[in-house]
Amino acid sequence: MESVLKNVSSSVELLAVAAHSSVVEHWQEQTVSRAFQWASYCEHLHSRFHSNPTVRGTIEKQIQQTNQHLLSAFPGCTQVCFSDLSRLRHLLLQGLLTNPKLPLSIMKTLFDSKHPAERTYSENQDVHGLCNYIVRCKSACKVLRLLTDSLAVGAVGADAEVLGETLMERLEAVMSQSGDLCKAEHFLDSVLQGGEGATPHLCVVISAALLTRKKSAAETASHAVLLDWLLKRHSTLKHMVTEAPTALITDLVKRHLKFRDAYCNVLKEWASDMEYSLSEGEWTTQTNPTLTFQNLTQHFLTLFEACPSVRAEVEKELNILKKSDGDFEVGGLSVWGDLLSALNQ
Amino acid sequence: MSQLKPEIQTQRMTETLQDVKKIQFWLDKAVAWSQNKSPDTLRDISRHLRKLCAYLQQLLIHVNSLSSTTEAMEKLPFMGQLLGRLCWNFHVTANDTSREVLFQCLWALYSEHPSNAVERKANQWIQNVLCHFATEEGDGPQAVMKGLFLPLHEYYLKVLGKSVSLLQEEIVKSCSSLGGINSRCSCDKILATSEACVPLVTCGDAAPLIGALLQRAETCVQAVLSEDFLHALNTAYSSKCLVLEEQSVVSLWCHSLSTLEEAVLSLLESVVTNTATTPQKMLEKVSQSLLPKACAQNCSIFLVVNDIFRSTMKHAEGNENMKSLIQLFSLCFLKEHAQLQTQMYLPLKYFFPQTSQSLLIPMSTLPSEMPQEAWRLHLNWLSSSLQRLTEEEEKGDGGSGSHRGLHKVFEAWFLLVQCSHWVQVALQLLSTNDLRDCSALLWLLTFYHHPTNRGHHRTMQLVRSQKLWKHLHSLFLNLAHPPSVDQLQPLITLLTSPPPQQPPLAPTLILSLLVNFAVFFQSGPTHILQMVVDGSGLLQEVVCVLSSLELRLSEGSCRESDTNRVHIRIKELQKSLDTCVQYGPWSPAVNQTHSLTHTVKR
Repeated sequence: MESVLKNVSSSVELLAVAAHSSVVEHWQEQTVSRAFQWASYCEHLHSRFHSNPTVRGTIEKQIQQTNQHLLSAFPGCTQVCFSDLSRLRHLLLQGLLTNPKLPLSIMKTLFDSKHPAERTYSENQDVHGLCNYIVRCKSACKVLRLLTDSLAVGAVGADAEVLGETLMERLEAVMSQSGDLCKAEHFLDSVLQGGEGATPHLCVVISAALLTRKKSAAETASHAVLLDWLLKRHSTLKHMVTEAPTALITDLVKRHLKFRDAYCNVLKEWASDMEYSLSEGEWTTQTNPTLTFQNLTQHFLTLFEACPSVRAEVEKELNILKKSDGDFEVGGLSVWGDLLSALNQ
Repeated sequence: MSQLKPEIQTQRMTETLQDVKKIQFWLDKAVAWSQNKSPDTLRDISRHLRKLCAYLQQLLIHVNSLSSTTEAMEKLPFMGQLLGRLCWNFHVTANDTSREVLFQCLWALYSEHPSNAVERKANQWIQNVLCHFATEEGDGPQAVMKGLFLPLHEYYLKVLGKSVSLLQEEIVKSCSSLGGINSRCSCDKILATSEACVPLVTCGDAAPLIGALLQRAETCVQAVLSEDFLHALNTAYSSKCLVLEEQSVVSLWCHSLSTLEEAVLSLLESVVTNTATTPQKMLEKVSQSLLPKACAQNCSIFLVVNDIFRSTMKHAEGNENMKSLIQLFSLCFLKEHAQLQTQMYLPLKYFFPQTSQSLLIPMSTLPSEMPQEAWRLHLNWLSSSLQRLTEEEEKGDGGSGSHRGLHKVFEAWFLLVQCSHWVQVALQLLSTNDLRDCSALLWLLTFYHHPTNRGHHRTMQLVRSQKLWKHLHSLFLNLAHPPSVDQLQPLITLLTSPPPQQPPLAPTLILSLLVNFAVFFQSGPTHILQMVVDGSGLLQEVVCVLSSLELRLSEGSCRESDTNRVHIRIKELQKSLDTCVQYGPWSPAVNQTHSLTHTVKR
């Protein structure tokens, strides 16, 4: 363990040197290669010990000490934490490329395009052409993104699908390590930032994760956990329903019964929040200014289209609510009555 | 001199103006490309990508000729702006060629020892651009990736793989034309997709998508590929940068005649330029070229390839390497064709529309496909059919039908070249103790080497081949008294200095007959071959005939009971020839006479 700690410490130091020291001026290709090997070693350590609290704690402590000690040498130095070990090669690259002392020869090596075209980054420690390969993949992704968007291929886009799949893989791993649901929730909180202030991107990733299709028992269990997590975070759910494209909601409603019910409840909640504005002559809501009565009707229609069997039940409920509002057939008096007539137009 | 000065000045001014105009043109393009990503813009990028690379290459040469970045900035003030715009255009950075030259331009502007603020700023800018290129992605994904411990490079690789498979799936399922003639199909999207894929033609990770586009366009009439896409693929193919699976390459050949021609020519060139190649290596090259397989699957590819071979043979009929190549190619083709599944199978007659159909099947049948007892009869039939054909056509020679007649003879001969496995079997049968009438076999052999009576003097050469055959027979028959150098001299003379006033008998005919005698003549003396090699210096040629014989026999054209004996015999002969390689007849250490006497004494 002692040697592991020493190695972690050295690697964190190496990262600081790569990013901040003028020593880099004298680095050669072999030096960079070795630095990447150390970074790769730390990534390995991370994947091995991140779910082991004891070892993780010890390593974390060591990293903190190293951070302190590095601050005196490099005052502007970025603090590293345990989870950063999982992407140390990336941080190393970032550090090197922001260091003004990085020699041109190293830059040329990293961006070399004369290297054999195909390589697998994960398995290859060779730094020759590494960045060229990354730029190539990144640009190709963007070229294809335009195509998938214009052809409307895929429900959520390849990037969200990848993140969704990875989220499910990691969640399954967490759940297989311990049956503790709290740990799974904690993991989701850490990845999805507690769902607070969920960005449109995050909502799409969650949707993509809920739509993965491995059809294994582990996947079903993880879907259930993710869904529970989402339903507990009401604002995230509402945000997701507002942001997601209709096709995506349809898919989710078809796939998950719990989601269907929750979606239906959100719609009813939105409806109940609506007030009739005499000046504008239509139903509006203060809680969700972007939502219009037409949007709401469309949402209900999406739900019915995705799951026709739910229509009768919902309409029955809306009728009861309409009756409780006095059962008038005049527009602008009961949101339920107006909804019903809009839905049956 | 003083008079020239204004002219030089005007010229320089014109050049500068042109430079400014060019850079302005590309800057305008870069600006337009960055403003929207409509299909029209994408088409424009794809269309200009090659020219842009050429321009950047020019720019690079120009910058490299200047003394410093400061000077470059002064002379080409818009250059930084242009490069900056292009760096943010992912169609430009996705393409291997444009990305490479773009990086080189950045290196050219980077000053290792910056001498002023401008150069320091340029360095900083270049490093920022590169850092952004390689390490940054939007905040949203990056935050999730961090939480999932998913490194950026792995993320890109996965997204790329996913996008490729999504689009590939879409292309495969988009076409419903197979479902019925009236069903609508959405393959019109293929054109736009192929346009967008121009920058990615050499990207190995996108190869399945490129392949799907090529294959879809082969099966659906509504799927049209963009010219720029095919052009980019062709360029990549020529510079050997294309990473496509076999089936996609075949599809590419169907769409792009120039790529197919290039593939055939490169195969021919590899054979013509490398005269020391062995038949085994040649066979390897032929099957690696993928062309025989493509030809078997697609008749139109075969017709193009065969036409190239045909016209090559018209101009180089005596080139033995070329003949071997065509024979090996046909052998591979026939095997691939035989292996085709029923739905892809098209009868051979469609592949050989110019050939006499009565000859086609007997010729294209492989010797291994019929009992050996039937070989002689089969060859006699082939020989008499060809004889009849040539005589009939030659009868009319000089008349109005002469050109057509000659054409028919050529086609029959060309088919024999393609199916020269039967010539090899004839050689084998001629070289045994069997003394049955061999005139038909000798005629076939002579026709193969001397097809007409016009310039080739077939009738005259036939008399000579008969004489040669009898001579070899008597040499090998005499077991008790191995031949002396004097007895072999006529043979050596025939090979090295034939009578000048007469057209010579083809050396390959002589050597192949000799080699076949050395291999197949029951218990014949082994050293005749070596003595002839020593005497004639034709070691390379003999080695080649021997290995092509070995190759044919390994394909199963030999009686099983004989296989072992024949292979041992070939090995013995090869071993004895190896000593010739070490102490060759032209080696300064050993003179020819010494070598010859040494062999005789053994």
